[in-house]
Amino acid sequence: MKQFDLAPARHPAPASLEIIPVAEMTETTRAIRLTPEFDVETLGTALDHLDLIIVSFPIFRDGRGFTQARALREYYGFAGEIRAEGHLIPDQAQFLRTCGVDCVLLEDDADTTPWLKALSLFPVTYQTRLGLR
Amino acid sequence: MNAPVGLYQYQTADREFLASRIAEFEGQVQRRLSGDLTEDEFKPLRLMNGLYLQLHAYMLRVAIPYGVLDSRQMRKLAHIARRYDRDYGHFTTRQNIQFNWIKLEETPEILRQLADVDMHAIQTSGNCIRNVTCDQFAGAAADELMDPRVHAEILRQWSTLHPEFTFLPRKFKIAISGSPHDRVAARFHDIGILARPGENGPLFRIFVGGGLGRTPLVGHELFDSVPEADLLMTLEAALRVYNAYGRRDNIYKARIKILVQALGIDGYRKAVEHELSLMNPEHYRLDPETVAAIKARFAAPDLTASPDAESRLKADRQNDIAFDRWVRSNTHPHFAPGRIAVTVSIKPAGGIPGDATSDQLDRLADLADQFSFGELRITHLQNVVLAHVAQDRLLKLWQALNAIGLGDANHELIGDIVACPGLDYCALANARSIPIAQKLSARFGDNALQEEIGKLRINISGCINACGHHHVGHIGLLGVDKRGEEFFQITLGGRDDALSRTGDILGAALPEDDMVDAIARIVDRYLSVREKGEQFLDTLTRLGDAPFKEAAYETV
Amino acid sequence: MKRAIRIGAGEALVLTANRLLDGLIVWRDANGSWQRSIAHAAILSPEEYESALDAATKSAQNDGVVGVYEVVVRPGAIAAPVSVRERIRAFGPTVHPQFATELNA
Repeated sequence: MKQFDLAPARHPAPASLEIIPVAEMTETTRAIRLTPEFDVETLGTALDHLDLIIVSFPIFRDGRGFTQARALREYYGFAGEIRAEGHLIPDQAQFLRTCGVDCVLLEDDADTTPWLKALSLFPVTYQTRLGLR
Repeated sequence: MNAPVGLYQYQTADREFLASRIAEFEGQVQRRLSGDLTEDEFKPLRLMNGLYLQLHAYMLRVAIPYGVLDSRQMRKLAHIARRYDRDYGHFTTRQNIQFNWIKLEETPEILRQLADVDMHAIQTSGNCIRNVTCDQFAGAAADELMDPRVHAEILRQWSTLHPEFTFLPRKFKIAISGSPHDRVAARFHDIGILARPGENGPLFRIFVGGGLGRTPLVGHELFDSVPEADLLMTLEAALRVYNAYGRRDNIYKARIKILVQALGIDGYRKAVEHELSLMNPEHYRLDPETVAAIKARFAAPDLTASPDAESRLKADRQNDIAFDRWVRSNTHPHFAPGRIAVTVSIKPAGGIPGDATSDQLDRLADLADQFSFGELRITHLQNVVLAHVAQDRLLKLWQALNAIGLGDANHELIGDIVACPGLDYCALANARSIPIAQKLSARFGDNALQEEIGKLRINISGCINACGHHHVGHIGLLGVDKRGEEFFQITLGGRDDALSRTGDILGAALPEDDMVDAIARIVDRYLSVREKGEQFLDTLTRLGDAPFKEAAYETV
Repeated sequence: MKRAIRIGAGEALVLTANRLLDGLIVWRDANGSWQRSIAHAAILSPEEYESALDAATKSAQNDGVVGVYEVVVRPGAIAAPVSVRERIRAFGPTVHPQFATELNA
């Protein structure tokens, strides 16, 4: 697998971190993988010790990861790395970035050209024009 | 600016956005053809650009935001029907237009043509926030409290390619009205908004969790008085709860109404309030300057009319009984003296509800230029509105409409049938809706008879997904499949106004070829038992459905 | 994927799909080509159709078609689908006789 950066990571996580499913995290865990139905509010102060949170997409049509990422950034001020993995398509690149995701995990042979292209397609969004965020 | 019409006038940034969107779609088509995208991956992407694969071909649904368009846009739709389709278009119950015989390979070109006149097909389908619908008499009706179009446009912009809400559990439909007479079926939408002026700016009453389909439910009031500044923040919170907790395991239980039902309106409201407590209002505030800037892109027509306009209309009505009847059924009072709002019926006797030929579309554009400042609206009953007609020119307009076969006096009468495309076009349908609509509208074609029968809405859906809104028809018909044959179930008493309720099933489904006679027997029974001044719903309320049940099943 | 299909006495199966580029309905003939008219469709017995469906589904991308599936028909000079839905697909919308599918095409 390879990592494709959507934006410069706010605080890039060290490469060697062991990733623990959120249900099994302990006080020493620094990197977790969320399940789509997980309520990120329940992480509470554990967030302070995390360097990496992975939001997962069982299928690209399941948009819960967008809400999780955005809540982590906006409600709880998470400043570490957020990575997206699972079934994602390049057409989602900008949405992921806007919701606070730093990078996506792609197959080694995945073509990154459409991902790059997608990131530059819409320089101005309607939400920004309305003064949101 | 173009003609002084009541829709948002595009600027450079909007046009650049559309160009990017078309480039994106063209790339997606290429990737689909090369096999980089599977059909499963491509399908949601094409749907979010309005492109379905239906029974016979691709179908393209073009957005008409809040139902308003100008004459050059209408001419472009005529051109698309003529050049890329089979010479007609179909107005939908969500104020859009769809073309039934589109080719995928020509779609990027069609989208470029649409963009030439500031139109698109964005989010007319897919599990995202759909094109926002609005009161068809917005900015014209005498009974209006507040023109909802500026906020409808704000909602359009806010929901367009929303980064968080483009992959929702299911589709999401929003309607907004500024009239105390809810003309948008606010209580039957995922979110329905009733706007009114307050002391310190507009206030919004928000309903949530209404809908038809498999599980018809009347929406609940979420908040009574949301101030303008908090409108988008409130909607974001409402959508966020839905995106996080709406069901994704079963598409028939994935709409927000099921979530609201499961949590109860109080539980759902609590969840929304919790979101709101976590949100930073500064990030979501809708500033008055932003609203003013968008409002400034709506032109206001000069609505002064000649001082004798009203008396001349009065004289014209006295001279022509048929015209007088049409004025009674197909016009709505305008707030400006000497003006009147006109509903052009796209329901000629024996016709296909909502279908218009390219030539009719072109002529409607001409008539809009001549009579209503080049502006047209599409209604959720699949008709067309010319909102600002001078009363002294109304007779001329009616004559011109008659010349193109669109002069029927049947708005909100029995001939004004709403029908989904049904099995003739739709990949999901169980039964054909259009042939029954045609037979019924031919049977009750006489305009004088229709007026005699009075307000009576027939809605026909070809399957349980209820695109023909049969649940809210005064008489509703639902097509069901019995061993490959078409049957229809009758419901009575539905309505989508301030007294919204869904109709009650009358009894066992009847075969397709019995249907028209059964409805005719129900109508005959109503005419024989009604009391003076009663409409169909009044009689039904007074007597219950027993007499109609007896009539419907008389020969069975 | 095996679906439960009910086939009555004297009935058989044909394969159908939509063309990717223009969306039009097509029927699979005996050579594995996709034709506009059901008149050219290969009539398959319940025993044969599954392997034909597998092959057609596998080559759908190369053949430029989407949504391959089977339709129950009554064989004849022109195969007639059993359900109203498939008859409308085969012969055209009932409300627009002028758009009827050309069966000799």
